[in-house]
Amino acid sequence: MSQLGAMTARRRGHTRRTMEDRVVDAVVYIFIAVVFIVTAYPFWLSIVLAFNEGKDAQYGGIFFWPRKFSLDNFKELIRDSQWGQALGVSVARTVLGTVVTVIGTSVVAYGLSYKQLVGRKVYMALFIFAMYFSGGIIPYYMVLRQIKLLNTFFVYIIPGMINMFYVLVSISFFQEIPGELGESARLDGAGEMSIFLRVMLPISKPLLATLAIFMAVGQWNNWFDTAFFTQNKALRTMAYQLMSVIKKSSLGQANMDAYTSSLAQSSFTTTSIMLAAMLVAVGPILIVYPFFQRYFVTGLTIGSVKG
Amino acid sequence: MTQTHTPVKRGKCASALRMIWRQRSLQLFVLFGVAYLIIFSYIPMMGILMAFKNYKISSGIRGLFTSPWVGMKYFVEFYTDYNFWSIIRNTLVMSLIKMAFTFPLPILLALVLNEVRNVKIKKIVQTTSYLPYFISWVIVVGFAQLFLQFNGVINVMLQRLGVIDKAIPFLTGEKYFLPIAVVTACWKDMGWWAILFLAAITGIDPTLYEAAEIDGAGRLQRIWHITMSGIRGTVTVVLILALGNLLGGGLSGSNFEQAYLIGNDGNNAVSEIVQTYVMKMGLSKGRYPYAAAISLCQSVISVFLVLTSNFVSKKASGNSLF
Repeated sequence: MSQLGAMTARRRGHTRRTMEDRVVDAVVYIFIAVVFIVTAYPFWLSIVLAFNEGKDAQYGGIFFWPRKFSLDNFKELIRDSQWGQALGVSVARTVLGTVVTVIGTSVVAYGLSYKQLVGRKVYMALFIFAMYFSGGIIPYYMVLRQIKLLNTFFVYIIPGMINMFYVLVSISFFQEIPGELGESARLDGAGEMSIFLRVMLPISKPLLATLAIFMAVGQWNNWFDTAFFTQNKALRTMAYQLMSVIKKSSLGQANMDAYTSSLAQSSFTTTSIMLAAMLVAVGPILIVYPFFQRYFVTGLTIGSVKG
Repeated sequence: MTQTHTPVKRGKCASALRMIWRQRSLQLFVLFGVAYLIIFSYIPMMGILMAFKNYKISSGIRGLFTSPWVGMKYFVEFYTDYNFWSIIRNTLVMSLIKMAFTFPLPILLALVLNEVRNVKIKKIVQTTSYLPYFISWVIVVGFAQLFLQFNGVINVMLQRLGVIDKAIPFLTGEKYFLPIAVVTACWKDMGWWAILFLAAITGIDPTLYEAAEIDGAGRLQRIWHITMSGIRGTVTVVLILALGNLLGGGLSGSNFEQAYLIGNDGNNAVSEIVQTYVMKMGLSKGRYPYAAAISLCQSVISVFLVLTSNFVSKKASGNSLF
């Protein structure tokens, strides 16, 4: 980044701005303004609509600010036991799933990152092969069925216990740690386990944070396993509930529901509750995003250095 | 591993054992990973056998070996399925059109962001642009509905401007499915993949720009001859990766989620792709071997695509994954 800053500063110092420069700059700023608005506006619109009275929102024409401000959508969302329970399941799977996957992934990667590991080449080949080839969803389903994970909470946790892509990312991270750190502990007679726990993990916080962010986002957003690997209503997550509402409403089903609920003298509609739920689903990501932004990026760049 | 090749085998063997013992916790870490791989990757790979067998899911993993062979029966059945051509066409059209837009756009965004001289503005726009990557497809499709419903932003706008009198059924109309898929895919992933290209641009030697400037190269010429050629290697590698997952939907592999979430009875004729059909046949209708066979067809094509694009780029530019 600093290199780039220096470069632009130098460029600015050197030259007169030509006609071409001005045109390019104008196009560049218009382009990024469009990108910014197009990216941000859907978020803003959904916030506005979620805080607007649902029945009123049906008439359309709300673009920038709520017309009839109301918190009813959120109140109804909390009151409705279905959504409440789904939120609980989502939180549980996110917390537990993240912890388990971060441990699983970093432990396996640490083992594989040790250059003197006997059999390392064979192990690596097994991992890389599994990254490129898979049996597909149906045989995978067969395995989940056989080991009795279907319709249990653990189907959210155990199959994702090790993330293969992040195993490779973590291996390259661990290998960048200077070898002397481990060696000096080894000379002091420390076992491999305590080297891992006392020496390596404390200096791997950036890696662990990156893993945790990606796993947490993945867990929080996942609706696929709920939809296809469980039938148990008690295991439905926020993401799944939203998915089923959104899938129905694309057919105009929501408009029908809205009509029925308008007869029922309530101010909210299926769509307006869905909006509140969407906000609750996006909220945690929006809130942590500015603070953990750099970890969001490292997830891509650590891996790409190797690739 | 190389130690076993030396002539003094016995001593080496003993020392290897001693080494394994010394690194036993690390070996356990890795063996835990291998056990995981066997269960969740390698047994499913073996499960491909079911596509050639009269397999019942109730017979479990053992049934893979005990059930009778049926040869290519399910593949022939797929080929003669009255949906076959439309599913293949939908899959190919969706994949190719999405690739045509989602691959160049992040490069363009990276080039444009690189030209922004105000560091603060650049940072804000960039950070915003990759936020959608972390939002689930469910939410993205929800956003799209806010814009495209009968009483959504676009219909209301068009009606107020007098362009249309009756709201357009964007969400259920067949001809709108692909545009929606393309636009949402670009919206969601453009900023994220631009990070990669921007990182590559940062690696370009700044003196090249100065030299070009002294030689009288204009801004656009510098963008084209220095920035673009400086990231060519990255572009090639990303293109190989994207082509390898062409049928899955490119870099982020979003075809299934898009087809499943945007698809409905109204646009089914264009939104049914191999992946959604596999789920429908397999997990919804319980025709597991048939679905596995369909899925295998796509996997074979995908592996072929990875190998070919890797080979072609190795020959053409010397860049390759393996």
